[in-house]
Amino acid sequence: MERRLLNTSQTFTPEAIAAIQESAELGRYSIRGFGAFRNVPRLDDLVFLTATLTRFPLEGYRERCETRTVLGTRFARKPLELSVPITVAGMSFGALSRTAKVALGRAASLVGTSTTTGDGGMLAAEREASAKLVYQCLPSRYGFSPADLKKADAIEIVVGQGAKPGGGGLLLGQKVNQVVAGMRTLPEGVDQRSPCRHPDWIGPDDLRIKIEELREATDWEIPIYVKLGATRVTDDVKLAVKAGADVIVLDGMEGGTAATQSTFQDHVGIPTLPAIVLAVEALKDMDMLGEVQLVVSGGIRSGADVAKALALGADAVSLGTATLVAMGCNKPIYVEDYEKLGTAPYHCHHCHTGLCPVGIATQDEALMARLDVDQATTHVANYLQTLVMEAQSLARACGKSDVHNLEREDLVALTLEASAMARVPLAGTQWVVGQNPL
Amino acid sequence: MLDTPAQTSVLSLDCAQLTTRELNQRLKALATEGIPAVRILNPEGRHNVAVGLTGPIQVTIEGSIGYYCGGLADGPTLEILGSSGWSLGENLMNGQILVRGNASACAAASAHGGRVIVLGNAGPRAGISLKGATLVVLGNVSYSAAFMMQAGRLIIAGDAGPNLGDSMYQGEIFVGGELTSLGADACETEITDSDWQTLEQELLPWGLDPHSRSFKKIVCAGELYHFKAKDWSKWKDAY
Repeated sequence: MERRLLNTSQTFTPEAIAAIQESAELGRYSIRGFGAFRNVPRLDDLVFLTATLTRFPLEGYRERCETRTVLGTRFARKPLELSVPITVAGMSFGALSRTAKVALGRAASLVGTSTTTGDGGMLAAEREASAKLVYQCLPSRYGFSPADLKKADAIEIVVGQGAKPGGGGLLLGQKVNQVVAGMRTLPEGVDQRSPCRHPDWIGPDDLRIKIEELREATDWEIPIYVKLGATRVTDDVKLAVKAGADVIVLDGMEGGTAATQSTFQDHVGIPTLPAIVLAVEALKDMDMLGEVQLVVSGGIRSGADVAKALALGADAVSLGTATLVAMGCNKPIYVEDYEKLGTAPYHCHHCHTGLCPVGIATQDEALMARLDVDQATTHVANYLQTLVMEAQSLARACGKSDVHNLEREDLVALTLEASAMARVPLAGTQWVVGQNPL
Repeated sequence: MLDTPAQTSVLSLDCAQLTTRELNQRLKALATEGIPAVRILNPEGRHNVAVGLTGPIQVTIEGSIGYYCGGLADGPTLEILGSSGWSLGENLMNGQILVRGNASACAAASAHGGRVIVLGNAGPRAGISLKGATLVVLGNVSYSAAFMMQAGRLIIAGDAGPNLGDSMYQGEIFVGGELTSLGADACETEITDSDWQTLEQELLPWGLDPHSRSFKKIVCAGELYHFKAKDWSKWKDAY
């Protein structure tokens, strides 16, 4: 039949029909990796107004543009001093292979930044590979130990993540091998479902005491971050700051995951763009801007994304999925193995299966061997350096001698939505949607 | 009920004179020096006492204590001559914590090793996410005890509230009194001679003969180990 004769329902799209029929056959919801598929207002919808006659740019190759970033200056005696405003986000050993975790640690160390553990404890090889390692304290507390706590350079209390705020982690049985099960105190091969609430505290008043506990256990030396999935950002940021956080890590709905109910990924939380703005406003309201640092994550891919996040008021960004892509996730190699999973390079979101064709999101030794750890390290480090150089080139073009000097005034929006969310004017107008009259 | 320790010569730290920071610094320093025993006076419900303490030091807390007492500790012996707040001995790695009164919510949460003993009652979620420690409660426990337990042992000499052992992965629970209800995937199994020996070892030192109670043993049925369509009603109706 000729293509033009086929009508497509915008309600029952081919994807909706396939999803209904999959549920009908399986009798359960679908679980997948990667993160939100839907299109959302994003940092791409903003552009910079760089220097011309009213502003003077800095020379790209001669004039210095500082990138040094310090996190955790509020209470910690040893804040994290990073060379760049980009960190590597928490991803678990279990979701990722040992070699992928090591490559992330080495790459982060090469560019002078931190990496982060995940829902499965601190891998000794990861600690060794990472000059600066942030130790996550998650609801599951898998492998959490005071000995590892003392080896950490910062602690991140995870309240939620952007892909599934309000939901607990999942790790399907095919990835729960002997080593992963041992580290997490779980039966081998079990479909692991992590709790969504912490076992030892519930509300923000408890969190205040929990933060004090962790500070006492680490002698008030290292910073304590609180990571939030972006939902009710204004209140959450204020409560976390009141509870004593040094750093807020805010993960928008574009944030990745290795395995989550797909319904969560596309229907829960708010995008990174409005989340940054709400968090900055909340910090300003409390007179805490600059005292409590803001790290944002969720769909950051380019130096332009980094620069825009900083211009909106973030102190740093954190990257997860993009670093995996840099080391080969979705690369067009081993194409036949993508096909076996029913997918193809550039479309793969099958992290939950443990059958990652490029050996990153797997515990299978044969697949893991496909990831050359030295090459992965170089690629991730190259990628992070590129982002920094891109962000610097945009900052210089805006006349800034420090990437942290980028500001909201440097931005305009290309869409009504982005203008309303970022509180910057629609390009070509003085109109900030929702704020001043036309 | 409160015993006053006989060793009045034991070094003491007074909460009324010290901030939590000073108190814990002093405790850590004393543990490092190898001082065998310390008394803590006037705790008045102070939070975060003896947190992250390592080594074999013996600490007697002369009154009731707040949240996280003995949290993240590895090796000390703590005795609380009163009651405790939330999350007593959370993430304990090794050592022993004895509470002569009651323990509030989440006692021994996620504790990996060592032993927590509550001579009174324990609040909700006692032994939540337990990862290998032993929690002994001479009295009753409230709802959702041993929720998502992963390993270790919970002994309840008295009654257990609703949803005992909900979503547990592994480990074992013993209940000597009334059992209100089991949580999802928890089931009763036969109690063995070696279980009785364990119960004797854990309870006789506190003056309780386990044979005076009709103990039941609860373990994980393992029916929720894998996501399956046939489990739909269990997932949907889980507490």
